[in-house]
Amino acid sequence: MDTLDTRLKDFFTPAAPARLARRVLRRMDEPGPDLSGLIARFAIEASDRGVRRLAYGRGRDVATRAGRRHVERAREELHEYLGGRRTFFTVPVDLEVPPFQAKVLAAADRVPFGAVASYAELAQRIGHPRAARAVGNALGANPVPIFLPCHRIVRGDGTWGHYAFGGALKTRLLALERATPALVGSATTRIVCRHGCPHEQRIAEANRIVFASVADAAGVGYRPCRRCRPVA
Amino acid sequence: MDERTFARLAEEYAGRLYAVAYRMLGHRADAEDAVQRALTKCFAARDSYSPRWAVSTWLYRALSNVCIDELRRRRPMAPLTDSQQTAPPRGSDRVELTRALEAVPREARLLLALHYVDGLSYRELAAVRGISVNTVKSQLARGKAIMKRALDGE
Repeated sequence: MDTLDTRLKDFFTPAAPARLARRVLRRMDEPGPDLSGLIARFAIEASDRGVRRLAYGRGRDVATRAGRRHVERAREELHEYLGGRRTFFTVPVDLEVPPFQAKVLAAADRVPFGAVASYAELAQRIGHPRAARAVGNALGANPVPIFLPCHRIVRGDGTWGHYAFGGALKTRLLALERATPALVGSATTRIVCRHGCPHEQRIAEANRIVFASVADAAGVGYRPCRRCRPVA
Repeated sequence: MDERTFARLAEEYAGRLYAVAYRMLGHRADAEDAVQRALTKCFAARDSYSPRWAVSTWLYRALSNVCIDELRRRRPMAPLTDSQQTAPPRGSDRVELTRALEAVPREARLLLALHYVDGLSYRELAAVRGISVNTVKSQLARGKAIMKRALDGE
């Protein structure tokens, strides 16, 4: 055993806070972040091109004949997302918003699942570093919250700020995303998928390996799924 | 697995799970939260636990998954670790090792933590992360080489 081995052994010596196990066990019965029960509270509006609006409305969906398939797909994906079984949406959105708002929403859509960014950061990313307030207004008027994740944008001091469905739901959505992994590999096939990919949904619990990035997964012999094409 | 057996396991492993999480995440609160989430997940799935699995593999797999996903969310500039915030004397061995460990890529760092906290064998490490034994060996060697370079450079 070399010197580094000895130092590392000492460095990694377990030293847990007192009564950790008891505290952990006491909190075990607290309800998880599953929000799938909320699906019935939403109404989805869709055109032929995709989802146009998500609002509270107890399932009163509105859609053109061709838009119905978008509503069905949106509802299914939203249900999976709220249940922590999906981290991304494949249903198209049909945005009719001014160019500035479209830019803001596209930037918000690039904030990774489970991460947060501030209004000022988003303003910087779209090339308008002094427009944090305008960014906030653009996000506030997001016609398709959750599908375009404006809930991942928080104030610079870490507090939540305004949210279309109320601050309590924003907290719960962020907690849900924190408890849901984004990239899952299969120990048997050595393929890594985005959480929510049909292939990923078939991975048995005992074979699920979570990765932080596709590069990390590739570094230990996993290849990205050809269906969901994870890139993060 | 009944509740009492699971509680005994939690008591037995909490310290080691915490040590791995703390060295991975660098914050006491985050480490405790990771242990909580990993054990909660295992508790919920305790009926599907198969005795074919070593208990340690099952628990460390759940903890690794939680820690790695937590690291994914972190920004490239990680906040200061507790040990840096409480400002122990510069040049102390722990501070040097903490800094050197931060230079190691996530997967190798996790394997180092699991290897040194609980002395998991190459085969057990391979089972925890779903990788080959050869990959475990190369990742550990790489991680140690990076740490050595970082420590020598100080």
